[in-house]
Amino acid sequence: MENMNMIFCGLGGQGILFMTKIFARAALEKGLHTLGAETHGMAQRGGSVVSHLKLGPAASSLVREQTARFLLALEENEAYRNLPFLAPGGTIYVNAEKDAFPRKEVSPYMKKQGITYHAFPAQKAAMALKNPMSTNLALMGFFAAYENEPFTHDELRETIISVSPERFRENNLKVFDAGFEFQP
Amino acid sequence: MKQEIFLGNGAIALGLMEAGCQVMTSYPGTPSSEILPEVIRLVKSENLNTYVEWSTNEKVALDNAFAAAISGKRAACCMKQVGLNVAADTLMSAVYMGTVGGLVIISCDDPGPHSSQTEQDTRFMARLAKIPILDPATPEEARKMVGLAMELSEEFRIPFILRPAIRVCHARQDLAWDKLTNNPKKASFEKDPGRWAATPRFRFILHGELNKKLAAIGERFSDLSNINYHNLEEGKRYPLGIIASGVPFAAIQDILTDEKRDHIPLLKLGAPYPLPKRLTDEFMKACDKVLVLEETDTLIEYLLGDNQKVFGRISGHVPSEGELLPQVIFDCLNKILVEMKLEPFAHKGNTEINELVQNLGLPIRKPTLCPGCPHRASFFTIRKGRPKAIFTSDIGCYTLGLNLGAVDTVLDMGAAITMASGFYHAYKQDGVDQPVVATIGDSTFYHSGTAGLLNAVYNDARFILVVLDNLITAMTGMQPTPGIGIRADGSKGKAIPLERVIKGCGIDFIKEVDPYDTKAMGALMKEATQYVASPDGGIAVIIARHPCIIAYRGEAVPERIPVEITDDCNECNLCLDRFECPALYHDDTLGRASVNQALCVQCGVCLQVCPQGAIVRNAE
Repeated sequence: MENMNMIFCGLGGQGILFMTKIFARAALEKGLHTLGAETHGMAQRGGSVVSHLKLGPAASSLVREQTARFLLALEENEAYRNLPFLAPGGTIYVNAEKDAFPRKEVSPYMKKQGITYHAFPAQKAAMALKNPMSTNLALMGFFAAYENEPFTHDELRETIISVSPERFRENNLKVFDAGFEFQP
Repeated sequence: MKQEIFLGNGAIALGLMEAGCQVMTSYPGTPSSEILPEVIRLVKSENLNTYVEWSTNEKVALDNAFAAAISGKRAACCMKQVGLNVAADTLMSAVYMGTVGGLVIISCDDPGPHSSQTEQDTRFMARLAKIPILDPATPEEARKMVGLAMELSEEFRIPFILRPAIRVCHARQDLAWDKLTNNPKKASFEKDPGRWAATPRFRFILHGELNKKLAAIGERFSDLSNINYHNLEEGKRYPLGIIASGVPFAAIQDILTDEKRDHIPLLKLGAPYPLPKRLTDEFMKACDKVLVLEETDTLIEYLLGDNQKVFGRISGHVPSEGELLPQVIFDCLNKILVEMKLEPFAHKGNTEINELVQNLGLPIRKPTLCPGCPHRASFFTIRKGRPKAIFTSDIGCYTLGLNLGAVDTVLDMGAAITMASGFYHAYKQDGVDQPVVATIGDSTFYHSGTAGLLNAVYNDARFILVVLDNLITAMTGMQPTPGIGIRADGSKGKAIPLERVIKGCGIDFIKEVDPYDTKAMGALMKEATQYVASPDGGIAVIIARHPCIIAYRGEAVPERIPVEITDDCNECNLCLDRFECPALYHDDTLGRASVNQALCVQCGVCLQVCPQGAIVRNAE
C-alpha cells in the first residue's frame, strides 16, 4: 500500500486522541507502519484539536496540505478549518446534520477537487444513548459502515474492544454500533 | 520482540531504559511531561529498579541527576525548553565539571509555540553552555539517539542534550522492542575537589579540557554516519543542496520523495553541535547554494558562517517564527526553485482553499477553563472583590483566568509573586497604594514561589496572594505535587502542606477557603484587603482549595446540582463574560443565556453568579 494519510479534528475534550489511537492500533494489527501527530497541552482545554495519522512508510508525522485521504471531524467548523488537508478525491466524515453540511461557500471547491462527504449527527446519536462524551465512537461506527480500505468494520470494532477500559467497553460498543447502523 | 505504538515521549523513555538509565528526574512541562510517566510504566512492567522522581523544579531535577551521574551511574533529566532556563545555572557549570556516568538532559522544544511562553531553541542553549546536542526527527530516532547520547556522554565524560521538538514528543509511531534489564552499576563517588568543587583557577583548566572534548566530539560527529550523513555522489556538482536537522529533516525527506526530487542532495545533521565540520565542508563545496532547514532558530546557519551560499532565515527565505510545517517547507523550497530557475513543483500549493477557509469566519477557539473548574470560581470572586487591582498570575491552567478579566500578567514560573511585589513598590514610591492580587497554582508555588514570597515579605510589599490549590499539576497532565505527598510512581512521600511553607516564608495571614463557596471567599477577600491596608498588616495569603475537576472527577462535585436558566435573564451577559463557563451560552432564539447540558458538570457555582437570580436549580 502507498502512504495513506488521515486527519482527525474537533474540540478539546471530544476524544480525538482516543479516536486516533483506535485507527492507529487497527492499522498496526494489519502490519502497517503508523506515524501520527497529536495535540496536547493548553489546546486540549476546549481549543481546536487536530491529529494527523500516516499509514505506510513515512518519515514526518505531519500530513502536508492536500494529501489526506480521509478527514474525520467531530465538529462541523473544525471540518472546514481542516479542509486544506484533504487531497483531491478525499472524503469527509463529519458530525453534522445531513442538510446542514457543507456550507455553500465551500461546495464549488469540494466539487472541483472531487471531495465527497458523509454527514451524520454523531453527537445526537451519542446523546440519545446517554453518552454525550462518545461522539467520537458514533462517528467511528458511521465511518466503519463505508468499509474504507484498509479498515473493515470488524477490525475497528475489535480494536475498540481491546483498547477500551473495562468499565467503558460496553457503552463504547453501544455507541459505535449505533453509528454503524445509522441509515442516512 | 513486541510491536507497539509509542508516543514519541514513550520512545524516549524506552531508549533511556534500553541504555540502562538508573536515575531519572524531571519537572513536568508540555511537550516533555509524558517521558517520566512512560519510564515508570516500563519500570513497572519490566520490573526495573530505575529511581524516578518528579523534582520540585528543573534546576533541582538536574542537580539531582548530576550527582547520580558523577557517582558513576547513568542518569537523565527531562524538561521543557523554558524549564532549561531554570536549570541553566546547573547546565553551565556541570559541563565544565564533566561527568563519570552518562548524563543526558532531554529538553523538549515547542516550535509554534503550542504550549509555551517562547519558541526558544535549546540548541542555542547547548552552544552557550558548550554541551553537545542531538536533534531527532522521529520517535524511533529519538529512542536511538538517547542511547547514543548516553554512551558518548560516558565516553567523553560530558553531559549530552537530546532536543526533541514537540512533533517528536507527541508523535506516535510503532516500534519493535524487547526485554529490558537492569544496569548493575553501583554508586561510587570519587572525591576530586579540583573538579567537583573547582575554584576559578581550576575552572580555567576545566574550560580548556572542555574545549578539547568538543573538538574531539566534532570529529566524531563527522563519522556518525547513522545520524550525520549526506547522499552526494562523488565528484558531482549540484546547483542546490539542502541541510536539515530535527523534525524539518523528516518533512523534507517526505517532500523530496513524494515530489520525486531525490536528485536534490540532502545533508542530515542529527548532531548539529559541535558542528561536524568535515561533513559540512564536503557538502558546502559540492553545492552552489544550500537551503538550511532547522527549528526554530539559526544555529546551523551561524555555525556554517557562509552568508553568500546559504538560503535560510538570515537570507529571508525561511520564516523566522512559527513551526516549519511540511507545507511551509514545501513553499520555501518551491520559491527557491523558481528564484534559481530550477524546475518548480507541478502544483503550487493550496492558497485557494486556505483563503476560502479564512473567509468563512470560523469561530476562534480560545482555550478555556473546564466546566466546574474551581479556578473559575476563584477568579470570579477575585475580580468581583478587587475590580481595580492589577492581577499578576502565573504558568498553568489558571493562565486562562485571562478570559474572566482576572489575569493581567503572565511572565514566567513564580512571577505572580515577584511581579506583585514589583508593582506594589513601583506605585508605593509615588505614594499610591495600588491594589495587587497575585494568583499562582499549587505546583507552580512549590516550583518557584518561595524565593519571591520571602523577598516580598522581607521588603514589606503589600498584596493579596491567592494560591489556587487544586491538589494536582493539571495543565501538564495531572502530576502529583509535594502538597499531596504522593510521588511520581504512586508511592507515598512526605506531604508538605502549603500552609507550612507559606508560614515559613514569614506570612501571618493564611486562610483557607473552598472557592466553590463564592460568598465565603468574597468575605475573605474583604478581610484580606483590610489586612493588607492595615499598618500592622502585610501580605495576605488565601489558599483557595478545591480538587481539580478532571483529576478528581468524583470528589470535585460532591453534590450534583442541575441548573437551568429562567426568563428572568435580562441578557446582561455577566455569566458569559465574567464567569465564562463553556456550559453557558447565549441562545439567540430564546433571547437569553442557556445551559449546554452536555457540557455542564452540575457544580452549581453559577447559581451564585447571576445578579437577576435567573440561574436556578433544576427541579428534575
